[in-house]
Amino acid sequence: MTPAIAFLLAMTFLISIGGIFLMVWGLANDQWGDGEEAAKVIFAEGELGREEDPALTGVRRKGIQKEHEEGDLNIDEEELAERRVFDRSGRTPVLWWLSSSIVWLLLGSLFGVVASIKLHVPDWLIQDAVLTFGRVRPAHLNVVAYGWASMAGVGVGIWLVPRLFKTPLLGGQYATLGAMLWNIGMFSGTVAVLGGMSEGLEWLEFPWFVDIFLVLGGALAAVPLLMTILRRRVHHLYVSAWYLIAALVWFPMLLITAKLPLFTGVEQAIMNWWFAHNVLGLWMSPLGLAAAYYFIPKITGTPIYSYSLSLIGFWALALFYSQVGVHHLIGGPVPTWLTTLSIVTSVMMVIPVLAVAINHHMTIYSRWRMVLSSPTLRFVVAGAMMYTFASVQGSIEALRSVNVITHFTHYTVAHAHMGVYGFFSFILFGSIYFILPRLVAWEWPHIWAIELHFWLVFLGFGIYFWPLSIGGWLQGTAMLDATRPFMDSVLLTMPYLKARSVGGSLMTLGHVVFAAHFILVMRRMGPASDAPPKLMQGFGKRKNVEVANGAKS
Amino acid sequence: MNEPDSRKEASQGTSDESSNAIDESSKTRSYRREGFEPEELKNPLPLWYTIFCVALITWGVSYFFMQGTVPADAGDLRTALPLPGSLPVDGAAVYNANCVACHQSSGAGLAGAFPPLDGSEWVLTDARIPAQILLHGVQGEMVVMGNTYNGVMPVQSHLSDQELAAVLNYIRNSWSNVADEIDADWFAAEREAFADREGPFNGGAELISVLGEPDV
Repeated sequence: MTPAIAFLLAMTFLISIGGIFLMVWGLANDQWGDGEEAAKVIFAEGELGREEDPALTGVRRKGIQKEHEEGDLNIDEEELAERRVFDRSGRTPVLWWLSSSIVWLLLGSLFGVVASIKLHVPDWLIQDAVLTFGRVRPAHLNVVAYGWASMAGVGVGIWLVPRLFKTPLLGGQYATLGAMLWNIGMFSGTVAVLGGMSEGLEWLEFPWFVDIFLVLGGALAAVPLLMTILRRRVHHLYVSAWYLIAALVWFPMLLITAKLPLFTGVEQAIMNWWFAHNVLGLWMSPLGLAAAYYFIPKITGTPIYSYSLSLIGFWALALFYSQVGVHHLIGGPVPTWLTTLSIVTSVMMVIPVLAVAINHHMTIYSRWRMVLSSPTLRFVVAGAMMYTFASVQGSIEALRSVNVITHFTHYTVAHAHMGVYGFFSFILFGSIYFILPRLVAWEWPHIWAIELHFWLVFLGFGIYFWPLSIGGWLQGTAMLDATRPFMDSVLLTMPYLKARSVGGSLMTLGHVVFAAHFILVMRRMGPASDAPPKLMQGFGKRKNVEVANGAKS
Repeated sequence: MNEPDSRKEASQGTSDESSNAIDESSKTRSYRREGFEPEELKNPLPLWYTIFCVALITWGVSYFFMQGTVPADAGDLRTALPLPGSLPVDGAAVYNANCVACHQSSGAGLAGAFPPLDGSEWVLTDARIPAQILLHGVQGEMVVMGNTYNGVMPVQSHLSDQELAAVLNYIRNSWSNVADEIDADWFAAEREAFADREGPFNGGAELISVLGEPDV
């Protein structure tokens, strides 16, 4: 890199940031005549300050409302009926995408546990090529990333569309067809990877002819979004809508570009990590943030703290994220300027991440107790906090001084799970707890199953993440120490890899509980309940529970 | 396909609204407790956040310039490792890779086929003789510790001076052997001295005629 390149890079960087912030300032301050008033369109009179806690029926809720010194309930019957119409309009495609995702979640978890155990019991299940590490591990990655996370994310996204645009979903049947095609793609792709027909690039293992189904399925899922936008009854687009539209535009572009047969050698490596990192940042992150931005204010009954922060969070992500992937090639035969740009943009990601974190924190600040009782809020807030953690960790990891240790170690694996699991999957779990009862008119029958699911995946993930991060770091320092033989760096990770298998198994167990519960609701089985699940009932709300019990009897 | 749940649900879709099992109140229940559709307040950016962003951007710009002096043609900050010559070479590793198949890890060889190295006069004599055996090989009759062998010692000159010095020191100071050590420079000189020679030594006889009787 020469001073000339450095100068041009720095100037491009400054001008882009200047442009983005000017636009954000203009939007936030109503410079284009479309700010504050438009933002109020979504807000119905008299609704501010009412909280949604899926745990509460009328009497109990009144108790809590009083506790928070809120006014009387003020239900607008017309709006209520409207929401039912919205949900019903997207019912079939949403259920297709969500229930498919649960099947892939179970399968992907199983692959993950098998791959994890193989790292410390290398001779286990090697009789058949299908079950060797080199096939099970990519099968795990693709099934959880494209089967579970992507399908559940699309399901939640489609459910959000009519609510965000205040218009019944149009063209839902295209999304249903999309789910079918996507499932065909997932099934064939998994069989291909297990059968040894992998393309050999991480995150892109599915053969190109299988990816056609994913591209078509994804495009069909975007059709109702576009059709509904065109007929929308609100002028102002709520922040969740920005993320949703962006995700559905970005993902097909990413996948098609990555699959073009144009890249060889170093270019291919650059394209590979540009794609792989963007699947998290420009596909899963916007879907997850769309859900978080919807459910946190929805359940706490508090408006989002700052429109300006929402704008910065979104536009800075759009500006910075697509360049961060090359930090996976630090120290590689890649032009220095490209890696340097990627390191700087990786660190700049702190700007949108902090904006989102402050926005969510200030929104939930006065209602934090609801995190204990509401299943949706508990999962979504845990996920949102892990988004902040994963992102800041990623920014630090991109620095050359840190990367030299963490590169090629299990530390990176733990970090990737913090993003896709800790952040995105937790938010998906929470969203499904909210959405499903509305679509099938059946409450989650077992509170203990939700508690069990939460603690299994939360503690399981803790046991997964922390030992693996520590083990990965030690592995990295051992590899850098020229006086130690390479095998030292392998053997010292053994206890940490075993801990990872324990954590992964607990997470899988949690998924089984969740899937069984999901099936119960889908079939309207289990004890009928007229009240939604409320976790930790005894905690600080004894009086209200007594009132509620009295009212029931 | 493999999603029984979703298929079931799709077929159930039409029955939902007409089903008598689900009364009206249970259909609206979850909606009645639901809050408003989210919206945003107009709070300004926190001051500390704005300052933090400016600081971060300043760092970013200066980082570009800090990297401006890195050579553009070397890839991303790749520093050449020191050449193998300056790293210590493990003689045992070289022995295990090149010698152990015939001379065995005990250095005892195989009776009748491969001569021993442990206690061998050809090893413990002046280091020049084993060095030349390594550099050129031996083919033909050779008397080692009173036994006659008739085999082929392959040439090892493809190994570097560092590796040859390390393995010779290893052989001359393992098992019961004790002899003085040599270094890579000495080996380089030894290689240079017989640079013109082609082909292996013709048995022990030629070794003795060129380099003299082994003398322990």
